[in-house]
Amino acid sequence: MGYIIQVIVDALSLGSLYALAALGIGLLFGVLRLINFAHGDFITLGAYALIVPAYGPDAIRFIADFHPVALIICTILVVVAIALLSELLVFRPLRYASAATLMVGSFALSFVIQNLIIMIYSGRPKSLNLWSDLTAIKFDVGGVDIALLPLLIIGVTMVLMVLLVLFLKHTPWGVQMRAAAEDFKMARMLGVRANFVISLAFVLSGALAAVVSLLFEAQLGILMFRMGTPLMVFAFIATVIGGMGSLVGSVVGGMSVGIVSSILQAGLPSEIRGYRDVFVFGLVILVLLLRPQGIVLSRATRERV
Amino acid sequence: MTALLKIDGITVHYSRLAAVRNVSVEVGEGEIVCIVGPNGAGKSTTLLTISGILSPTEGTVTFGSKNITGANPENVARMGISQVPEGRHVFTVLNVEENLRIGTLMRRDRSEIEKDFKMVLDMFPVLAERRRQPAGKLSGGEQQMLVIGRALLTRPKLMTIDEPSLGLAPKIVDRVYEVLTDLRNRMGLTLLIVEQSSERALKAADRIYVLRSGQIQLSGNAKDLRDGEKVKQAYFGFSDAAKHVGEVAF
Repeated sequence: MGYIIQVIVDALSLGSLYALAALGIGLLFGVLRLINFAHGDFITLGAYALIVPAYGPDAIRFIADFHPVALIICTILVVVAIALLSELLVFRPLRYASAATLMVGSFALSFVIQNLIIMIYSGRPKSLNLWSDLTAIKFDVGGVDIALLPLLIIGVTMVLMVLLVLFLKHTPWGVQMRAAAEDFKMARMLGVRANFVISLAFVLSGALAAVVSLLFEAQLGILMFRMGTPLMVFAFIATVIGGMGSLVGSVVGGMSVGIVSSILQAGLPSEIRGYRDVFVFGLVILVLLLRPQGIVLSRATRERV
Repeated sequence: MTALLKIDGITVHYSRLAAVRNVSVEVGEGEIVCIVGPNGAGKSTTLLTISGILSPTEGTVTFGSKNITGANPENVARMGISQVPEGRHVFTVLNVEENLRIGTLMRRDRSEIEKDFKMVLDMFPVLAERRRQPAGKLSGGEQQMLVIGRALLTRPKLMTIDEPSLGLAPKIVDRVYEVLTDLRNRMGLTLLIVEQSSERALKAADRIYVLRSGQIQLSGNAKDLRDGEKVKQAYFGFSDAAKHVGEVAF
């Protein structure tokens, strides 16, 4: 019994991280038709922001030693600033380019960020414990110890999703974003400012990336210049199988990918457990063959039917 | 009469193909002006150039005393031009009220907004009934009313409408034109309407322009053209002069 609860908690917490990352990607895709492959690097930068920019082998704690509230705010500010800067320097000049060009632009940005991290912080992994209490505090559930962190990850994700929905549904800015996501030209003809809405999407995406940075770093305890990349890859897959252009789809996709990975991790015989991702990606291909439009139909897809 | 909108010799290209050439249109304050012409004449192109979605390669667009050639769509909207483009363009994911609220986002005069809101809902009672429904669920006619109402809520000085009659039952088209004429008469709203049907245009407009093959073939007071013969010739290109222009255009 306890073991099953353990697997469920792990599955939901991994799914939550993927869902949060997928939401960050989905928001930008909705407004800008940009598949932002640099999203994983935004996540990485959020974690690196916690230490003093220095080349040495050890991590010198900086924001990481702040009071948790200040820590969260500072990390979000840093990542949001980077997201806005990326918009200004990379994506604004490409605004009227094709979706493919935008995507290639995001690849380039991703390389630039990774190499900047190597130049400033060096490419060596650095150990950094964040909020170690969260993994130390455990609850005894049916004979198995469940740490606080995965429960926190699930809780934070749910709260953020509710906040995002409230924002999008019930604030004028949120309504503007939804309008722009559906029909950007018409929205502009009614006075919706393109720069504002797009910047807002980058702010939200950056803030979500920062939260993922902190939760992921608390779990991982190590800084690596490509730590965000696997999250980005899984989150991207999540948005694809969830249905591009649908935020609900991003969440459903993220949760599904996380849950399937965790179940495979727990269920596969130990000899082939190392090849878990092969099975995950195999299932993804299967889903795409059976339902190429994604699990949740977005508006655009539905209209064509 | 002072010209509120002045389009002066614009040429607009889609990549290398010129969709309109050297088109000049003037709309005076409080006027209803119709641009008529067959499919592909460049009517929509002209309107999209006014609203800043397209940029002309030559010529200028002046609104009031401001040159708005090549301005952003949102800035054009903020100067007081509200466009109802072809194909209605309701936001289907938003409900009827949210669609209308988007129309008010540029305004800060709260009490006036509420008054206009009430006016629009009185004008189109069906929108009041369906306030909370997704706009995608409305019928074609209801969607047309919604986009006109939404455009009105921006409190435009000039409203441009692309084919208000497209895909609507004649009875509903009558109603739409009735509303538009009423708006001009009561509120002094200036209207530039693109229309395929020359009869409709001659009935509703003060002045009309006939656009074919990307060029203005004829313009004049609707009163003087009411028998429709000249308009038909310009529209279809049967007269010798129009034929000649047609050859040049291709």
